[in-house]
Amino acid sequence: MSRNITLSIFRYNPNIPGDTPRMQDYKLEEYSGMTLFVALNEIREKQDPTLMFDFVCRAAICGSCAMLINGRPGLACKTLTKNLPSRFTLMPLPVFKLIGDLSVDTGTWFRNLQVRTESWIHTNKKFDPNALEVRMSNETAEAIYEPERCIECGCCVATCITANIREDFIGATGINRVSRFLIDPRDERTDREYFEVVGNEDGAFGCVGLMACDDYCPMEVPLQKQLALVRRKMAAAGLKLDLKGMKIS
Amino acid sequence: MSAKHTHITDVVVVGAGLAAERSAIEAASAGLNVIILSLVPPRRSHSTAAQGGMQASLGNAAMAKGDNPQIHFEDTVKGSDWGCDQEVAKMFTETVPIMIRQLDYWGVPWNRVVAGKKKLPSGLEVEDTKDKEGLITARDFGGVAKWRCCYTSDGTGHTVQFVVDTVVCKMGITVHDRMEAISLIHDGETCLGVVARCLRTGDLNVYLAKSTVIATGGAGRLYAASTNAVINEGTGGAIALNTGLVPLGNMEAVQFHPTGMPPVWILMTEGARGDGGYLLDKNLHRFMPDYEPKKKELASRDVVSRRMIQHIRAGYGVESKYAPQHLWLDIRHLGRKWVWTNLREIATIAMNFNGLDPAKDLVPVLPTQHYTMGGIRTNKHGFAYGLKGLFAIGEAACWDLHGFNRLGGNSLAETVTAGYLVGIQLAKYTLGATQKFDYKLVEGFVKKEEERIKNLISGKNGKENVWEIRAAAQNAMMDHVHIFRTGKSLQEGVAKLQELYKRSLKIGLRSSGQGANPELAQALRMPGMIRTSLCIAYGALMRTESRGSHFREDFPKRDDVNWLKRTLAYWKEGADLPTLDYEPVACPYMPPGDRGYGEATAPAKGK
Amino acid sequence: MELAKNLQKTLNQKANPKTDLYVDLAESVTGIILVGFLWMHMLFVGTIYINNGVLFNSLSEGLDKYYLAQIGIPATVLVILIHIFMAGRRAPMRLRDLRIAWRLTKSLKHTDTWIWVGQVITALIIGIMASMHLWEIMTTWPIEATKSAHRVALDGIAFMGGFSIKYYLWFYVALLLAGEYHAGFGLYRIFVKWGWFERHKMGYVLKGITLIILFIGFGALYMFIRLAEMVPLGGALH
Ligand SMILES: Cc1cc2nc3c(=O)[nH]c(=O)nc-3n(C[C@H](O)[C@H](O)[C@H](O)COP(=O)(O)OP(=O)(O)OC[C@H]3O[C@@H](n4cnc5c(N)ncnc54)[C@H](O)[C@@H]3O)c2cc1C
Ligand code: HEM
Ligand code: HEM
Ligand code: SF4
Ligand code: F3S
Ligand code: FES
Repeated sequence: MSRNITLSIFRYNPNIPGDTPRMQDYKLEEYSGMTLFVALNEIREKQDPTLMFDFVCRAAICGSCAMLINGRPGLACKTLTKNLPSRFTLMPLPVFKLIGDLSVDTGTWFRNLQVRTESWIHTNKKFDPNALEVRMSNETAEAIYEPERCIECGCCVATCITANIREDFIGATGINRVSRFLIDPRDERTDREYFEVVGNEDGAFGCVGLMACDDYCPMEVPLQKQLALVRRKMAAAGLKLDLKGMKIS
Repeated sequence: MSAKHTHITDVVVVGAGLAAERSAIEAASAGLNVIILSLVPPRRSHSTAAQGGMQASLGNAAMAKGDNPQIHFEDTVKGSDWGCDQEVAKMFTETVPIMIRQLDYWGVPWNRVVAGKKKLPSGLEVEDTKDKEGLITARDFGGVAKWRCCYTSDGTGHTVQFVVDTVVCKMGITVHDRMEAISLIHDGETCLGVVARCLRTGDLNVYLAKSTVIATGGAGRLYAASTNAVINEGTGGAIALNTGLVPLGNMEAVQFHPTGMPPVWILMTEGARGDGGYLLDKNLHRFMPDYEPKKKELASRDVVSRRMIQHIRAGYGVESKYAPQHLWLDIRHLGRKWVWTNLREIATIAMNFNGLDPAKDLVPVLPTQHYTMGGIRTNKHGFAYGLKGLFAIGEAACWDLHGFNRLGGNSLAETVTAGYLVGIQLAKYTLGATQKFDYKLVEGFVKKEEERIKNLISGKNGKENVWEIRAAAQNAMMDHVHIFRTGKSLQEGVAKLQELYKRSLKIGLRSSGQGANPELAQALRMPGMIRTSLCIAYGALMRTESRGSHFREDFPKRDDVNWLKRTLAYWKEGADLPTLDYEPVACPYMPPGDRGYGEATAPAKGK
Repeated sequence: MELAKNLQKTLNQKANPKTDLYVDLAESVTGIILVGFLWMHMLFVGTIYINNGVLFNSLSEGLDKYYLAQIGIPATVLVILIHIFMAGRRAPMRLRDLRIAWRLTKSLKHTDTWIWVGQVITALIIGIMASMHLWEIMTTWPIEATKSAHRVALDGIAFMGGFSIKYYLWFYVALLLAGEYHAGFGLYRIFVKWGWFERHKMGYVLKGITLIILFIGFGALYMFIRLAEMVPLGGALH
């Protein structure tokens, strides 16, 4: 059953003066059920203690370990080596700033995104600790949960040519994030306010419809649906704003 | 080299999980400057992995009718096997419904009550009433009298952490991610802040604050097999312990979750059993009712875990490629739709890692280390023992809501509730405190860390391999300090760990240690991790009774006469064992009694 | 760095915050119009099947008679121009962008991304060939079945010493393929972006339509050749 596999891994640590980007090969004996989480840790512990990569949950729920696995983005922790050829490459996600080897700074990128898109509930209501929660249908709750499932792994950003060449594009994850607030009855933002956030080239109208995001999202967030939803809502809002001049909802 | 940057602030919060962020919000609301430090971006904290839900007695769901904080309180105390601080449990159960509603106000998409009669997949028929429609619903969980576990599908921790983080973003609270606290700065009386190592560059940073909060989460990775994230190495507790002044409370109280999935030990949420899942043995027989006729699969976790191991020992374990011995979790009868909507996350996990579709396949399970009830001992306001200006919350703390066994769903609930309650106290304290600057002292602490780093790189103290030591220590915990414990085995475990501890002081790097070197990061943590393991093992050895998750085969009964007390473990400079001290556990509201499940109630009987 | 960023944003503040919306709408609307035009155009050319081009000729006369050509052709050209400006801005332009796009596309092996690359390439092809085609049609106005037939079937460029290829035939085959590819997948992308249909199901429908149009196109080319053999240049149709 067991075979020998070769991992060709991108190596470069920008913090070490004189280091240069290169590919380095590591050989391992594969065993049944081996994931890239296991494989990379084995390499670090037995072969090369300097190898940098990120894992947190190792259960495909935290979004830390996205990388280009044989050219395609994915979560390393849930990738079984048996589904890969005996020789394959691992590269860091593009777009995000490189920290070293396979580790990239998704944290800063996503933090900026949250702030730029003001991704929090906007409401003028005050929280009343003695009141019951505002009622909501379970369907609405589930509809909000659907886009909310995004784990900010960055796969959709890394695979999107638009995001790769347009620095300010907020990517599928960003548009999806906004869609979650757009359908949330607790958020009181007007269409105009939403339009200011995503009704532009950096947001909903920047997407070209390449759909790599939809195909590679490890959480299977329905990105086509959410992206289109925001585009339609923003177009409607933009056109209506013209007709009526002011806020509509 | 000296500290690259010095940051001065009112409050420094070590950790960015739910407990940490919730307390930061409270402190910032009081107008304080707050900096959050974290190993990872906040939304990658382990809180996001929590699937099942949060306990709060809202009483909206059909099976929750009549619920109130008092019943929640009683469940919590019974669950803790009377080991918890009842005053804390009272405060907690009374506050948590407000917390849930506040989270709703902030944006958590809690699942809601849908009115009407329904037959649940478990076969139970219930009717949700019109007057509750649209309010937050709840599901069943282990060890509870009412359905009380509020949830969002099976991504509760995820949605709650994301939403709390939106508030942190909105308030503009500073977060320094990839920044690991590696020691506390203190003058023997007051905590002045932390020394931290940047995991981007490897530089040392100093954070000086009037108050320091430790909210670093669990310590599951002290065991080889754990449901915890790989960053849960208990470093927050370790740096507090290292001061010699701050004790860790009840470290021997370690929870083993009944349903970790081998061989990767990822959690299959308790929600699976809450929603009606069964445990089966090698004959595909549902064995839990034989042991626990009343609560069946939904007795408290410590009890179910022990029953499972007991059943395996009786020869009913399954042998398969997943593990040498395990049992099955069966949720097939819940139906494909239920499994792939309400339990989607675990269905995906079973599919990803073992290629199993729980809608039609059985899933292998085995009790797995899951939660540390123990932690930095604090008073009921979250003030750590031993140092002023030091606070601890969440899984890293022993606020002592959980005693010797935590109820499922009580921990996420604890993080936000403690974050809020302690946050208020913390703000009050900080507003009245003055910043202490003693640069010589600070410089001393930085120097000490620099020394350690230099020695690790040069191999001055030895050439021990950090990964080998870590593996050996984790295995020692598995072999000697697991679900069933005996004096003899614990003794051996302690001896092994002591040996490893000495070796951990002689670690030398094999790499250059330059930049954000991962080997160096691990090496810096290693002695602290083993010290913490020793607190667990030694505490377990000395506690000659069985209580909650701490089960001594040689002392199988709870002993309220001698052991209604909390262990406090200190680490004195130069020691190779913790110094144990004890404090009484008061039971002002509910005197010790029968839990209503477990060995004391139903005598063990095999099939 | 920070300051520079702020400065630039202030200077480039959009006059109308809705510009991006209009541009995006214009891209899709011109796209749809052009697809509509192209498919209509193919149906028009396809009338060559009927009655050996009698219908073809009368339609052409109709165009002239009702001034459809005088308005329609410039309008089409205008739409094409708008489309080029709107859609063209999406294509990677800078060398750096081209490199990134190319490297990523190769590494991803992702169907939809490849299709888009194809769209950009066919756009270039159409840009050149359609202008030539238009020029030819305009300079030989009016449209007439036998004229077209001879152009398609017989006109060609002779290479040194007699060897010649049927230039227009191959020209049209290339333009037909490029145009249909670009139009079919362009429409697909519009539907995807606006989310009117489920992506995977819709793909089949559009591929179906494109195949039909291609069938008509190739059939028409065949008819042109047959017609050219039957009727000499300038000869009358019956
Ligand atoms: C798989 C799983 C499922 C669970 N499901 C449930 C459930 O359904 N219901 C429930 O109530 N409970 C559940 N729990 C328990 C619950 O999730 C945790 O107890 C809780 O989330 C802990 O939160 P916390 O804020 O204390 O710590 P964490 O969320 O773990 O956060 C710790 C933070 O500290 C940071 N940190 C750690 N060390 C350092 C350092 N040295 N320097 C700087 N930063 C540091 C980390 O980066 C992280 O941000 C589950 C636990 C697991 C493992
Ligand atoms: C010189 C000629 C042309 C050029 C340079 C050109 C260029 C482009 C480019 C670069 C795109 C991709 C834009 C994107 O992905 O968003 C595009 C899209 C498209 N093109 Fe063209 N094109 C040309 C002619 C045509 C013609 C003749 C048609 C009609 C048959 C057409 C129909 C479309 C459609 C439907 C789209 C999709 C628009 C959208 O996604 O909103 N194009 N074009
Ligand atoms: C409005 C301007 C246009 C007019 C009046 C026009 C007219 C014609 C005519 C008369 C023919 C018959 C062949 C011939 O006479 O050479 C033809 C063929 C063709 N045209 Fe156009 N055309 C126009 C625009 C376009 C555009 C923009 C495209 C680009 C996609 C295009 C693509 C084709 C193709 C592919 C054929 C070959 C038809 C076949 O396969 O049978 N045309 N056109
Ligand atoms: S949308 Fe999907 S691919 Fe994109 S960041 Fe979120 S989880 Fe990752
Ligand atoms: S890949 Fe990019 S262009 Fe749009 S459809 Fe996805 S964001
Ligand atoms: S480690 Fe969390 S997603 Fe892979």
